[in-house]
Amino acid sequence: SADFPSQATGDVRIAANFVTHAPPGEFNEVFNDVRLLLNNDNLLREGAAHAFAQYNMDQFTPVKLDGSEESVLITEHGDLGQGRFFDPRKRVSFRFDHLRKEASDPQPYEGETALRSWRDACDEALSAYVKEHYPTGVCTVYGKTVDGQQTIIACIEGHQFQPKNFWNGRCRSEWKFTISQSSAQVVGVLKIQVHYYEDGNVQLVSHKEVEESIVVTNETQTAKEFVKIIENAENDYQTAISENYQTMSDTTFKALRRQLPVTRTKIDWNKILSYKIGKEMQNA
Amino acid sequence: VRVIVRVCACDCVRVIVCVPSLCEDLLSSVDQPLKIARDKVVGKDYLLCDYNRDGDSYRCSTEYRDLYFEGGVSSVYLWDLDHGFAGVILIKKAGDGSKKIKGCWDSIHVVEVQVRAGAPLPVQTGINNVNCFYLPNLGNMDMENKIRSTLNEIYFGKTKDIVNGLRSVQMLADKSKQEALKNDLMQVLSQRSKQQS
Repeated sequence: SADFPSQATGDVRIAANFVTHAPPGEFNEVFNDVRLLLNNDNLLREGAAHAFAQYNMDQFTPVKLDGSEESVLITEHGDLGQGRFFDPRKRVSFRFDHLRKEASDPQPYEGETALRSWRDACDEALSAYVKEHYPTGVCTVYGKTVDGQQTIIACIEGHQFQPKNFWNGRCRSEWKFTISQSSAQVVGVLKIQVHYYEDGNVQLVSHKEVEESIVVTNETQTAKEFVKIIENAENDYQTAISENYQTMSDTTFKALRRQLPVTRTKIDWNKILSYKIGKEMQNA
Repeated sequence: VRVIVRVCACDCVRVIVCVPSLCEDLLSSVDQPLKIARDKVVGKDYLLCDYNRDGDSYRCSTEYRDLYFEGGVSSVYLWDLDHGFAGVILIKKAGDGSKKIKGCWDSIHVVEVQVRAGAPLPVQTGINNVNCFYLPNLGNMDMENKIRSTLNEIYFGKTKDIVNGLRSVQMLADKSKQEALKNDLMQVLSQRSKQQS
């Protein structure tokens, strides 16, 4: 397919598309399969590099800088271009290898100093919340001017990868609000994806958008309110998902295929058969 | 579920575009969602699958009603083998979309009936009821019941457990206190029952 440029472009686009849709924790598997199908490593590396980066940013991929106990999330908000990202808590920028998922070459990075106190307050409050509710959670909080508005952006990620047990799962949430005015809207997006594939193949893919108003006063108070809104919304969402399972089991699933016929007994095929033959003989 | 079903059909096409030589193998080994087509002559819906695909066209056949589905569309395609016959039984049931929930159940049952030499043949009564003779065995699609139960209890149950392992509504500190209390209680209770006996 390298002989036909337009064909090659199309194939690489398809390959890239497969990769960006890999379930959490399965990027390598999808990448290796796609590599076999495309059979052109150079083309794949060049044509799909943007897809690898996009995948890691979409997934809020956590990474540890050398010698650090804490992780930072790879997101679009921390993207500095040229393969570099920044950690707003540690105030460093670093190079990120999207295939190896490794960070290197740390350099000091100050970020927006005007927003620092707000960012720090929100990060402290949010980190405590994440510790209380996420067994393996990571959060990264940015203070950035977006479209002329001073904005706090909070990203939370938690995952469990257990390929030996044939399952992987990840939840992500992103919360934003502006601090320019005393009254603001907190906007949140919550996402969950779970893949279970032992002798079968089931995925749960869910997302929810949330909007709540917040009063902006001082750093500490506002951070507290911000995290309270997040905690309530995420608790509600998780509870709703559990309840949905019950509803799905009781109604929808049953509507698709009953466990027993309405008569509450299994079909007696011999009875149907003798009735059918009898009817046909009558009509003959 | 709807997202995955939709993505699956597109993915198959995409793989075939990249590697056309895989076309036949893919289409025959990957189950696509069943498509519904209409027989304008008889005025009935029927289902399309790889078994009644002939080149790029499909052959229509008769339906069997199924008390398990309270509606839906079903199609059966049978073909002769050297020593018997084989067939595929297709059933498609879509949810009615009420209560803001969408769903679809597709089942594809492939059966092979071997008639051994010397086996007693069903008595011909002037009606073509050879297939009816085998109906009690074919109709007893126990596998489907098992799969449905498995889906409900194991697959859906497991994904719910995984979600609740990613995040806890209850504060983790409280959860571990509760666990510790439970363990203490169990220890005390088992010690007490040992003393009493």
